[in-house]
Amino acid sequence: MPSKKMRKSKEEKAKPREKIRRKIAEALELPKDVTLNVPRLTMIGTSNLIIENYKGIIEYERDKIRVNTSIGIISITGEGMIIREITSEDIMVEGEINSLIFMK
Amino acid sequence: MLFLRLWNYIRGYVIIFVEGYFLEKFINMCIHRQIFLWDIKKQNNSAMLLKVSIKGFKLLRPIARKTRCRVRITKKRGLPFVINRYRRRKTFAVGAIVCIILLYVLTSFVWVVEIEGYETIDVQVLTDKLESLGVKPGVLKYGIDTDKVVNEMMLSIRELAWIGITVKGTKVKVSVEEAIKPPELIPKDVPCDIVAAKDGIIKTIIAKNGREMVKPGDTVVKGQLLISGEIPNKNDPTKTRLVHAIGMVNARTWYEERCKVNTVLIEKERTGTVETNYSLVLLTKQIDLFHKDVDFEDYEKVEVRKGISLGEDFVLPFGIIIQKFHEVRKVEREISLEEAKQLAASSAHKDVLARIPSTAQIVDTRTEFKQNEDGTIEAVVIVECIEDIGVTRKIGG
Repeated sequence: MPSKKMRKSKEEKAKPREKIRRKIAEALELPKDVTLNVPRLTMIGTSNLIIENYKGIIEYERDKIRVNTSIGIISITGEGMIIREITSEDIMVEGEINSLIFMK
Repeated sequence: MLFLRLWNYIRGYVIIFVEGYFLEKFINMCIHRQIFLWDIKKQNNSAMLLKVSIKGFKLLRPIARKTRCRVRITKKRGLPFVINRYRRRKTFAVGAIVCIILLYVLTSFVWVVEIEGYETIDVQVLTDKLESLGVKPGVLKYGIDTDKVVNEMMLSIRELAWIGITVKGTKVKVSVEEAIKPPELIPKDVPCDIVAAKDGIIKTIIAKNGREMVKPGDTVVKGQLLISGEIPNKNDPTKTRLVHAIGMVNARTWYEERCKVNTVLIEKERTGTVETNYSLVLLTKQIDLFHKDVDFEDYEKVEVRKGISLGEDFVLPFGIIIQKFHEVRKVEREISLEEAKQLAASSAHKDVLARIPSTAQIVDTRTEFKQNEDGTIEAVVIVECIEDIGVTRKIGG
């Protein structure tokens, strides 16, 4: 199939490109979340959590949210949590956050 | 956040109730298809409330079908829904348009003419002249040619040094500057004397041109010759030379003012009974609303005018006038001797100062009190000044 071939060739191309990118980024001291494709977590007190660069949500309850990211699943437990905003780039959780667990 | 909320309101959004067992999948699919969701609140195990834009909501159907969720709108919010609600109300739209037109029409008239800066000129003269030139309440503001009005005003009223007219909103602001009358001068080449303008005792006399006729210490009366413009010829006493006398004659002058004050004052005191009358002001007419007759023997009238205006300059031609009549009764009050003296002195002092010209230098102020037989206190204030009392007068004139 031509489309599969195309993707494969793209991936092969992307690998050395990624390497170069990482090296340049380290040399220039750019923030890692931009270059390494890892999520960036921002917390404001215990009431607000913003996860940028995530993959998707796995579970959503008022007392537990699990979010899939490139470094594994982030499990958030708390009380009365709502998803204030959700876009393809970031997710903003509001409520009483009690714990964050990173499951690799 | 506020901006975002406002934006969402303008675009319009719906609060939906989603019921199903794959709610996370539903959210993920929405994100994947670039549908923006916010304020997601889980209700129970299998239901949640969330907000989504109108545009996004239309794309939800296939996702809901795939994830086997049931979607139900609970609330519609935002401007599009409000507009939609009012779209069929024709009278409302007509009313809104009429209101805007009316506001525009009303603000294109002049409703207030403000004059400021006058001191000696009668305001009536100014308003009458302005009225005759077409600047009065009720005229179209576009019809006022300010340049023309300014020119006409300057030509017809000689006391004006400057006049400025600006149309601001529904207000016409007229500011005037009065000309200071120049003193009547006798040309330098016309011979003249200097005579006394008022009574006094000469303190110093300096003649720059002319012959001194009085010495310091002399008492002079009004009209007395001080510096003569006639200079006799030394060689021929019968012939005289006429000059334009110039000089300074400083003299002591006195101003006196009396004031009587009764130790029993009659004061007006409000009894607390108030009658209130209201009037409506429409355009330039005044409409009285249920006016009652005021049957107080003696009263004080307080009038309050309340206009409606948009900002400071857009005065609208509506308003109310509230007239309050406070009933008063006369109350006799006895004041102490000291108080009466003080009252009399300050009143007399004020009167005397009003008479003293600004160029005079005040040297001494004396206050004397007299107690009359009828119980009144009389204050006599005498102010001693030093001032130039010389005025020019044409010889033979």
